[in-house]
Formats: sequence, C-alpha cells, structure tokens
Amino acid sequence: MTIYLAIVAALLSITLVVGPVAAQGKPELTVALSSFSTEVLDPVLGGHIVKYYLSLMFDYLVGTTPDGLPSKDGGLATRWEPSQDHRRWTFHLRKGVKFHTGEEVTSEDVKWSLQRAIGKRSTTGYAGPLRTLIQDIETPAPDRVVIVTKEPTLIIPTYLSRSLSTEGMVLPKKYIEANGDDVFARKPVGSGPYRFVEQVTGSHIKLTAVDSHWRIGAPKYKTVTFKLVPEETTRIALLRRGEVDIADVSRDRVAELEREGFPIHMRKEEAILTMWWILPRDGMPTKDRRVREALNLAVDRGELAQSIFAGKADPAFIPMGLSWSYRDFGFKLTPEMQYPYDPARAKKLLAEAGYGGGFSMDVYAYQLPGLPEGKAFAEAMTGYWQKIGVQTKLIPVDYPAFRKNWFDRKTPGAMGYYNIANRDWIGTYALIEKMAYSKSKASDVVNDPEIDGMLEQVLRQTDKDKIGVLMRNVYTRLRSEHYGVPVVYLHSPYAASKTLGKWNIGTVMYDFFIDELASSK
Amino acid sequence: MIRFVLARLVQSLVALAILTVVVFVLARATGDPLQLILPMSASEEDYANARQYLGLDRPYVEQYFSFVGRALTGDFGNSLRARRPVVELIRDRLPNSLKLAAFAMTASLLMAFPLGVIAAVHKGTAIDRAAQVIAVLGQSLPTFWVAIVLIEVVAGRLQWLPAAGIDGFASYVLPGFTLGWFVVAGMMRLLRSSMLEVLDTEYVKLARVKGVVERRVVWLHELKNALITVVTFAGIYFSILVTTAIVVETVFAWPGLGRLAYEAITSRDFPVIQAVVLTTAAIVALVNLSVDCLYAFIDPRIRYAG
Repeated sequence: MTIYLAIVAALLSITLVVGPVAAQGKPELTVALSSFSTEVLDPVLGGHIVKYYLSLMFDYLVGTTPDGLPSKDGGLATRWEPSQDHRRWTFHLRKGVKFHTGEEVTSEDVKWSLQRAIGKRSTTGYAGPLRTLIQDIETPAPDRVVIVTKEPTLIIPTYLSRSLSTEGMVLPKKYIEANGDDVFARKPVGSGPYRFVEQVTGSHIKLTAVDSHWRIGAPKYKTVTFKLVPEETTRIALLRRGEVDIADVSRDRVAELEREGFPIHMRKEEAILTMWWILPRDGMPTKDRRVREALNLAVDRGELAQSIFAGKADPAFIPMGLSWSYRDFGFKLTPEMQYPYDPARAKKLLAEAGYGGGFSMDVYAYQLPGLPEGKAFAEAMTGYWQKIGVQTKLIPVDYPAFRKNWFDRKTPGAMGYYNIANRDWIGTYALIEKMAYSKSKASDVVNDPEIDGMLEQVLRQTDKDKIGVLMRNVYTRLRSEHYGVPVVYLHSPYAASKTLGKWNIGTVMYDFFIDELASSK
Repeated sequence: MIRFVLARLVQSLVALAILTVVVFVLARATGDPLQLILPMSASEEDYANARQYLGLDRPYVEQYFSFVGRALTGDFGNSLRARRPVVELIRDRLPNSLKLAAFAMTASLLMAFPLGVIAAVHKGTAIDRAAQVIAVLGQSLPTFWVAIVLIEVVAGRLQWLPAAGIDGFASYVLPGFTLGWFVVAGMMRLLRSSMLEVLDTEYVKLARVKGVVERRVVWLHELKNALITVVTFAGIYFSILVTTAIVVETVFAWPGLGRLAYEAITSRDFPVIQAVVLTTAAIVALVNLSVDCLYAFIDPRIRYAG
C-alpha cells in the first residue's frame, strides 16, 4: 500500500510541476493544422495541397507575392520573356543561389526538376497539361533556361510559379541522382530559407532556418514546426498554453477566441462553396434552364452564411466563380447577377417548366477538409428545396464515393458540392477547363458547346486582354444558364498567438506565406 | 502442453490467413484511393500513370498474392498516401501505441486494485457505491467526450498538463487516463467480485481465527487469490488498449497505430490498412495465445481438454 501511495504521489507531482509553456520571444514557430494532406516531402508526389510547408524548403522558378502577383523578387528567375510567337520562354536565373548541400542552383537543375515534375511518376496538379504543352527545355547557359512549347502560350510562367502547384519547385539534380528518389523523399534538400530536420508521420514536420536567404534575409525563427493536430479542441488548448503560434480553427470558434484576445487571421474568400448536378442532363428536370434557376432562387444565401457558417462567409452567385481571378479577367459582379431569395418565383418557374408538383432529387452529404459544416450545409440546402416542392433525398457518403459517382455518371441529376480553393486566372482557367469543358469528359458538369468554344479560344490565345474578354463571357454564360448552385464564399480563420505580430496570410491557394512571417527584410 | 500450444498456434495462423482475404477485399470495397491522391484537375492520363506506378492496374488476384507473398517476408509495400514503406510507418507508430497502452494499463491497475479491494471489503456501503459509480462512468462515458473535457479543462484552462503529442512523461497522463478509465472500471468490478468470492473461503476464516491482522488478511491472503482471474484478463485488456486507441490517439494527436489506421482508412491507403489490421490481429492473437497458455499452465483441466 505504501508503495502504491508513493507511485500515485509521484504521478501527481508530475502534473503539478508541468506548467504552461512560455510563448514570449520564442525563436521557434509552431503551426498546428488539422490535416497535413498526403504528408509527402517530394514536390512531385504532393502537388498544391502540400505547398504550405514545401515552399519553405524549396524555391520556385517564378516567385509570387502573398497577394498572388508574379514577383521577380520571390523566385529563382529574376526576369522572363516570351519569343515573338510565344513558343519560347526564356528565364534568367538568380546567381549565387545554393542548395542546402552547398551546390549552386543552375539551369540544369531547373530543366531536370521540370522534366521530373511532368514525368509519369508525378501526381502534381498540372503535370498533365505541362506534359502536353512542353516540347523541349534548353539550357543555353548556367543562368538561363528556355522552355519551348508546342503551341503559343501565356501560361508557362504562372504554371511554374508559387501561385499554382509544385511543378515550378527547383530540386537538386546531383543530390537526387546520387541518392535516389526514396532518400530524397525522406530527406529532401532544396534551396529555400528552411532546411528539413525531421518528419514523424502523423505527428510533425520540423524545419530549421538557414543563416541567411536571398528571399527573406536572416529568418526570424530558428525552427518552424508543423504539428498535425486533428481535433480542434486540442489545437485551441495548445494555443492557450502557448505551445503553438498558429492554428487553423473553425468558423464557429472565432468569436470565442477573439474574446480571449487571440488575433484571427482570416483568409477572405479562400474557397467558393458551389453545388452542381451530375451529368448527363437528358431526361432530367434540370435540363430545363428554369428549373436550374428555380433551385438557385430557393436558397437564402445570406441566412446560410450567418447560420451555418457563423457569419464567416459571403453569398456567391457565379457557378465556379473564383473571385481571386476577377481582377485579372476584369470581371465585375453586377447587381442583376445576384440571386435574390425568392421562393415564390422559384415555385412559379417550376410550374412553368411543368414541375409544379415538384420532382425528386438526390443530394449527397459529406464533410470536406476546410468544410466541417458539410453535412449541416447539405441538410439546410435540402430544406430550402423542399420548401418549393422538390422532394430531396439526403444521401450521406464520403467525398470519394461521391466523386466516383460524379465521374462515372451513375446517378445523373444528383447533386454534390465542393469548397473549391480560390485561385488566380491561370488556376481558374485550369479548374474551369476541368469542370466546364465537355472534352474533359468525366469531371465536366456543364456540357455547353458555347462555353466549349470559348475555352478552346482561351487555350490558343496569347493576348491576355482577349483571354480576359473570353473568360468574362464564360462566367456570364455560367451564371445566365444557371450551371450549378453557387452558395457562399468561405472565409478561413487561422488563430494566432498574442505575440505573433503582423502576418499577411495572402491570397495564394494552399499557401500561408510563413516565410513572409519569418522575413527580416 | 506442447500439443495444446501448437494447436492454438495453428488456429491463430488460420485466423490470420482468413483475415488477409477479408481485409484485402474490404479495403478495396471502400473505393479508389486515386480519387483522394490526385487533384480534381488530374486528367485520365494522370490517373492511368498513377494507377500503373502504384501497381493498382494489376488484376486483384495478382495484387492479393503479391501482398501475401511480400507480407510473409515482412514487406507490406509502400503507402499510397505517404509514399513510404508501410513497415517504416508501423515501426514509427507501434512503439508509441505500446507505450501509451503500457502507461494506461499501469495507471488503471493502480486505480483499480485499491478501488476493487476496498469496494469488496466495504460491500454495500457508500464506499462500495462510490466505486461502482466510478466503474459505471468509466464504461459508459464516451471516450471522445472524456478526452475533450480533459483537454479543454485540464490542459487548456488550468494548464496543468500537455494537451497533445509525445513530449515527456507528463504528456502520457491525459491520454493514458482517458484510455485506461474503461479498464479501471472493468478491472475494479472483476477484482471486487473475485474478492467477494474468496472472502468467505475457509483459509481466510482460518487466517482471521489465527489472529492475523485484518490488513494482512485482505491485502495478502484475499487479494493474492483474487488476482488469478484479474491477471489473466489484464493481457486481454492490454491488447484492447493497443488496438482500439483510435479515438484517444486522434484527439490527443498521438502518433500511434490507431491514428495510422484512421488516416489510412480515410485516404483508402490499402497497403497501410492491410498492414495495420494484420499487425493488430497478430497482437491480439499473440496475447490470446499467451493467455490460453497461462490458463493451461494454471489449470491442468484446460491443458488436457485442449
């Protein structure tokens, strides 16, 4: 019994001596996230979803400002220009940049990295289009690389920039050739401001700063650690204890954390939450434009934004309307484009279309990363549609199951949704080309010859102004034909410690610009 | 005895062999992992490339025999999600689960023993009822709720203990307690009923008649004999703690086998699902085999019947 009491006392004493960790003046930065996605360290195995930590270890060929603009100060290329016919893009490389191994970054590394990124093993987002487009990569000098394309194009700099995926990350050719892909995937080497220290899968990724880096000077934080903490209560507890400096939080915890004095950094319009019908439309009520409009008019977007998304969302009115591209395309949302909440008119439209007695429609319900409200949102949507007489059936699934049905077109007319990450014009074009171009086959949700024609013109166009005109017309057509139900733009909150300071979280998809936070420039 | 052990061993191996088929089929029945690995913008060519590279384009029968053949050599292939050998992932995670389970087991035994003994000795009193309440709560409160309350109050508000991760002995306390409370309840009830059985036995009465101090009667003579059932159950409880810690490991961000299983299931990572299921099944089989042997060693009737 005495021994027992001694052990219990020892256990209790441990609980009393362990206090909160001081957060003041830490040389470390710790970021707690609900998901790490694939947790891979090799850029060609990850794609855009792992950019937030890879962009600290690697440099891109073309830099991007946190606001998504191309930057000659943020990438390895200090300038780039196309040939007259837009089939040869020449990139001039920054001199004196070294990998963490000490080797200098040259045009050979750029060429080799790009070939690797578009190779068959690659699972990055845009390997396919680049593979189709690139004819050759030339290295006329160690500080110059020329990318030759099969067709005239404007997209090369953006595709190889930080604003999209990971194809533009420059990797050390000699290191990977000497050690192999598997070693590189475990101990990656780049030329970014932070070098890899360790990865414990399912737990954390730890990076340490280089002494000085051309991008950010001497990094303010000696180490940056990304912690995987799936449960939100745990992330918030870690924040309160000062054990983490940044944590992603749900929209409904924002008010509570603000009351406690934690700064909230909001990624405004990080994603558009949009719904669509699985094709084909033949024989479906939604073949009729009036039915599609009615289903849009039946939804009170303002109420949804307030009730389901805790006021951290704004109504959206353009299907697939990725608002970060509006600036580049010169697209402006007019008052006429905004759907009012008008169930009476919705009922009238249904009656005119011959569905006064309603019709049945399946709605898939699932959670998504960044959308914990997924199922509640789907329930609310079915409620709105039931009010205008549509007999909705909620089908709980997980997203991959829905995606399979969507791609296989096994359940035409059924609805699904996605919180599509906002992006710049090239990224938007790539997304719309997948979801609104009938030749994309499986993923197309529009099937409109007029939009097909416009998208084909965009592909061949090298005048950015003309691309802007075409894309504005695409958006206008998507809206006027009601090809989907755009619901809200979601704002994503990140809670920070009280000592974190200024942080421009930016508007580049899947990137938080932690390096900007660590910048001493 | 050797025949008995061999028979149990063969039964375990047959169970594992059947399990390879079950887990192989069920893991694939949940869907296509490429739907999660590849982005929405991936083309059909991207899908074909990835399928070929990951070996998912081969016939199922070929994939199954490849999986079994390699598993026999300790190679479970590469994770589709993390793109690393599965064995490495299990090697990283299993020790964390074992350590947490060991802590939870130790802590729960330290709590269950005095509670069980005191409850039996003071049967029908307020102390007994209090112990019963602890047992009922331990078995009825949802683990995720207990975990969240402890994190919110003890770690977040009071800031007495770490909220997550593995960082020293203190980080074991909250997940260990959460995981072990269920065991406390079970063990305490088991011990209480075993103690009550031996309370009226002749040798206990004799000890009292001989004038042995009451504390010695309870803690030495009674407890020693009541322990036989409890100790054999402890092994089974330990395997349960190792293999069912998904919720605790997820909430406390504990990089263990349960979390690995959860991540693998949500990302359709077949090789990891197969390896985790077989590893946990092997642990359970091993523990059950050990318990059977222990029983057989203690009780010759089982030995001869088996």
